Amino acid sequence: MDLIFLTELAINGALTGLLYSLFAIGLVLIYKASSVPNLAQGGLTMLAAYVVLALARDVGMPLWVAIPLAALLMFGLGFGIERVALRRLAGRPVIMILMMTLGLDIFLRGATLAIWGGTSRSVELGVGYDPLLLGDIFISRIHLVGAAVAIALFGAFLVFFRSRTGIKLRAIADDYMASWSVGISVERGVGLSWALASVVAVAAGVIWGEIQGVDQALSLLLLKGLTVAVLGGLDSILGAIIAGIILGIVENVGAEFLDPLVGGGSRELIVAAVLILTVMIRPHGLFGRHDIERV
Amino acid sequence: MSIQEKSEALPILSMNSVEVLYDNVMLAIKGVSIQVPRGDMVALLGSNGAGKSTTLKAISGLLKAERGRVSRGEIRFDGTDITEMLAQKRVEMGICHVIEGRRVFEHLTPDENLTAAAPMSMSRSALNAEKEKIYTYFPRLAERRNSAAGYLSGGEQQMLAIGRALVTQPRLLMLDEPSLGLAPFLVEEIFGIISQINRQEGMSVLLVEQNALAALEIVSEGYLIENGRVVMHGTAEALKANSDIQEFYLGGGEGTDFHNVKHYSRRKRWLS
Repeated sequence: MDLIFLTELAINGALTGLLYSLFAIGLVLIYKASSVPNLAQGGLTMLAAYVVLALARDVGMPLWVAIPLAALLMFGLGFGIERVALRRLAGRPVIMILMMTLGLDIFLRGATLAIWGGTSRSVELGVGYDPLLLGDIFISRIHLVGAAVAIALFGAFLVFFRSRTGIKLRAIADDYMASWSVGISVERGVGLSWALASVVAVAAGVIWGEIQGVDQALSLLLLKGLTVAVLGGLDSILGAIIAGIILGIVENVGAEFLDPLVGGGSRELIVAAVLILTVMIRPHGLFGRHDIERV
Repeated sequence: MSIQEKSEALPILSMNSVEVLYDNVMLAIKGVSIQVPRGDMVALLGSNGAGKSTTLKAISGLLKAERGRVSRGEIRFDGTDITEMLAQKRVEMGICHVIEGRRVFEHLTPDENLTAAAPMSMSRSALNAEKEKIYTYFPRLAERRNSAAGYLSGGEQQMLAIGRALVTQPRLLMLDEPSLGLAPFLVEEIFGIISQINRQEGMSVLLVEQNALAALEIVSEGYLIENGRVVMHGTAEALKANSDIQEFYLGGGEGTDFHNVKHYSRRKRWLS
C-alpha cells in the first residue's frame, strides 16, 4: 500500500472525524452546563435538518434564509425543552434526566416520521460532488466545508466559555445547589445550553443531511457522536475536536485493513471498540475534567 | 421617632413561627421565630439535626431544591415578605447563603468562582474592584486565584465560599458551619475576617455553628435550637454565662452527671 493512498485515507478520515466532532459539540455543550449526557442530540440533529428542508422546500425560502431561521427556531425549541421536560427534573437523579432525553429522541424520530414520512430527501446545498484534488489526493468538498464549520464553532465556544455567561454555565455543571445559593439561574442556564446545542444541531443536520440524505437515520449519528464526546472527555470542546479527528482516522484507515479480513462492516466494530476501551481505560476521556479528590 | 430611626429599628430579618415540611410529610422545624437586627451578628446554635440548616434554607429559598417548603409562618427581609419568593430573587434583594460543606465550584479557578457569582448587572470594572476587595480580605486566595478551586485547602475553600457570597453584595450574609473540619487557628482567622466585614460594611450576619465557643466570641446575640424549636435566646454574654449552654455546648460546667442531664431535659421541655 503506498503512502499517498494512506495519506488520503487519513486526511479524509480526519475530515469525516471533524464532522463527528461537529455533532459531538452539541453533546459537550449540554454536558458542560448541566452534567447530563443528552441522548436526544441525534433526534435534534435530524429534526433540525427537517426544519431546514421544510423552510427551503415546502415554504420555498432560499437556503441562506432557511438555515439561520431554522437555527433561530431550534434555539427557541432548546429553551422550550428545558421548560417543559427538564425543569421539573432538576435536582433529581441523573438517570431520570437521561431517560427523559432518550424519550425525547424517540419522540422526535416518531414525530418527523409522522409529519414528513420516511423517504430520504436531500438538502442540495450546492457544494458540488466532484472531489478537490490536492496534489494526488482526492478530498470531498462537503467534508471540507463541514470540517471548517466544526472548527469555527469550536473557536466560538472556546470564547463563549470564558465569558461571564459561559463561566456561569460551567459553575452550574459543577454544583447546582451552590449555583442557586449565589443567585445563578440554573434553569435558565440549562435552557441556554440546550438552545445552543440545538443550534449546533442545525449545523450538523445540514452537513450530514447533505452527505447521507435527510431521514430518520440521521439520528443514529448519536452513536458516533457519543463515542467522540466520551473519548474527548464529555465536557471538553477541544477534546471533542481532537477525539473526532482520532476516531475518523482510526476508523477510515483501520477499516481499509480490516474490511478485507472480516468481509466488511468493520467500521462499526472500530467505533464500538474505541467507545468500550475509552470507558475501560480512561473514563474521563482525553481532556475531561477529573473528579477532584484532595488527599 | 423619625422615619430614619424607625427603619433602623426594623430588623433586617424577621422570621415568625416558621414551620418547614420536607416532602409534604417530615416536619423539620416547628415554629421558629428569630430576628436579626440591622448590622448585627447573630448565631444559631444547636446540635446536629436540630434544624439550624433548615432555618437558613427557609430564609434563602434553597428549601425548594430539596423538596421542602415553608408550611406555616412568614419570613420578612427588610420589611418585605419573602416567604414564597424564588431563591434567585432573594439573592438579588441581598440575602446570600454560604451553604454547608464549602461547595466551591471545584473545576473553576477562584477567580472564575467569583465571576460566576457576580450578577450580570454588575459592570466588568465593578466586578474587578469587588474581586480586589475580596482578595484583600483573603490574601491567601489572591495567591492561588488561577488554580482549580478543588485543589485549595479546606480553609481556603471556606474563604472562597465566603468571598463568592460577598460578590453578590449581600446585606444579610448567612453562614452554615463555616468552621466545619478546620483547624482552630483557621477558624479564628475566618471568624476574625467575618467580624471585620461586619464592622466595615455594616453587613448583617446570621451564623450557624456547632462550635458555640467560637461563635459566641464574635456575635452579639444567639438562639439555641433543639428539635426544630428555639429553646433559648439571649445576648452572647448571657448565653456564655448560662450553665446549660456551658455544659452542653461549651464543654465546661460542673461535670455531666445524670442528674444534670435530666434537669436539662426538663428545662428544655419547659422552654419549648
